[in-house]
Amino acid sequence: MDEVLAARELSAGYRGRIAVRGIDLSLRRGDILGLLGANGSGKSTLIRAVTGQIPLIGGSVAIDGIDLAASPERAKTGFGLAIEPHELPAPLSGRQYIELVASIRGCAPSDLRSGDLPSGDLLERLGLGRWIDRPIAEYSLGTRAKAAIVAALLGRPPLLIFDETLNGLDPVAAWEVKRVIAALCASGRHAVIVSTHVVEAVPALCNRAVLMVDGSLSRSWDAAQLAEAGRVPGAFEESVMQALRMRAAA
Amino acid sequence: MRHDRLVLILLWRELVAGLRAMRRRDLAWIALGGGGLLAYAVADIVVALRAAAPKLLHDQLLWMLGLPIIFAVLGCLAGNSMSRLCLSRAFAPFLKALPLVSAERRRMAGVGAFALGFPLMLMIAMSVGFACAVIGKPLAPVWGLGAAILFALGFGTTTLWRLQRPRFLLDEAASEAAPVGKPWLRRLDRARPSWLSSWAWRLPAGHVRPSWKLAAAGLLLALGAVLGGWASLAGRTAAPAAVAGLAGGILVFMLSLRCQPLGSPVLRTAPIGFTRVWLRLVRLPLQLSLAFFLLPAGAALAAEPSAWAVPVAGGLWLLVLNAAYAVFGAYFLNAPFVAMLSFAGALAYAGYETLEYGRTVLIGLAALVFFLWHRTRQRYRNG
Repeated sequence: MDEVLAARELSAGYRGRIAVRGIDLSLRRGDILGLLGANGSGKSTLIRAVTGQIPLIGGSVAIDGIDLAASPERAKTGFGLAIEPHELPAPLSGRQYIELVASIRGCAPSDLRSGDLPSGDLLERLGLGRWIDRPIAEYSLGTRAKAAIVAALLGRPPLLIFDETLNGLDPVAAWEVKRVIAALCASGRHAVIVSTHVVEAVPALCNRAVLMVDGSLSRSWDAAQLAEAGRVPGAFEESVMQALRMRAAA
Repeated sequence: MRHDRLVLILLWRELVAGLRAMRRRDLAWIALGGGGLLAYAVADIVVALRAAAPKLLHDQLLWMLGLPIIFAVLGCLAGNSMSRLCLSRAFAPFLKALPLVSAERRRMAGVGAFALGFPLMLMIAMSVGFACAVIGKPLAPVWGLGAAILFALGFGTTTLWRLQRPRFLLDEAASEAAPVGKPWLRRLDRARPSWLSSWAWRLPAGHVRPSWKLAAAGLLLALGAVLGGWASLAGRTAAPAAVAGLAGGILVFMLSLRCQPLGSPVLRTAPIGFTRVWLRLVRLPLQLSLAFFLLPAGAALAAEPSAWAVPVAGGLWLLVLNAAYAVFGAYFLNAPFVAMLSFAGALAYAGYETLEYGRTVLIGLAALVFFLWHRTRQRYRNG
């Protein structure tokens, strides 16, 4: 099955208050979706709904063909979420956290290398090697983000979700992670959602993008539009700003 | 500029934010249900006090020693928790950048702790005065005042001791990140999902930190087990050791169960169900609890081999009580002390009502446990 994420008429929120509504989103293997939007636009709520952290008020979510509400545990094998850095288990070391996730996913903690990934030890390439046996409480924001990314890749789930995780990375680690994402999606076995505020990074990394405004999808860009916008410096940012201005005027 | 009220303002804002985050329906349930239960409890206590009045009035040991010790200890416990609460706010990380010296922060915490302690003291005075009036004790207001003074002495002494040593609190927080001590838990905590108990117990990288608290708790529990065993062997009766084993076993379980990983997105977004995580979190505390139980239970069996059913029944009750507390622990996942208080309160109340209405009350307790289990499971799955 090509479709790894199917959200239909999704509405979700907190304690009965709707924060995102009427979301229709479909992701196929090979897609890298850039999820854009201002603070409070509903990006994180959408990701929480898609990953089963908050209940759906309406609609449905299927991960790799499995309905999230009907079989949450089975559906959750279909995605790897890079947890927000402050939510990582601070007392555990990075290695223990990776072992914890690997034991839940039923794979080896070293199950990171595959034909889909660039060669070399990912921990070392991300600069995580010297921190791996220290408690996560001692990590900087960026180092925590690296541990979260490595854990998300474990077991090679078909859908990878990065919720503003790339924002805290140093340039070398950010470049390595982008290379990994591109390689995984090029293999045709994975799809990726990257939620980010770094608008200018989207055309180079993603082949699809959507803009969220006030809890709904306001505009989307396909691969051709992103490639076109990526040719002229600042063109994609201008396109996003124009969409935001039009929405504000409406 | 003085900041004396800053801690109180922070606590007030937290309370208001917490109440606002709750649904109105839940708030109404808590207010109506809690209010109704409180009114029923007060009426029940009044009836019980009236019935026991003749006995209570002539119990000199209770009035001269029992009650004073109870109120002083209550004051110490309340002072300890209130000063901890206020010190944690006065030394909060987001206040670090402010130009406040340590003495000023301690004064802020002190003002907060004493402001919170004053209404507690009033409640003690009024409750004791009211109870004395109900049983017809002469000079009821004086007894109320006396109880409040004893409570205030305990509260004030503990609060001042805590405020003089804020480093205790800060060192506890800092030591969570430092992997000192031996990695004793490594072998035990490798069961799938790995490292869950290290995480729950906040042991940096699986290292068990030796501490005076751990040593004191171990010593007290060992003393209880030895005394229970000795009483059984000396009296050739199984009951004392079986009771010590049961009480100590549940205490070990309550003190060692921590369930805060159940609220983490690390597990909630992972392909693992609530029951499996819960059972894994319960596993090590249960092993510790049963290990403690074995020594007094062995003594009970040696003291009176024909009464083998007594330690066996103790063991079965220990399993039932541990399972019930594990549900409370999971429900109050970030507040183990509240879980302990709630469980002890529910058990005591069920025990008390059982005397009046028989064992059908236990069905209510079982229903409460299943309701909490259901809500906890729902929260794990849906937030």
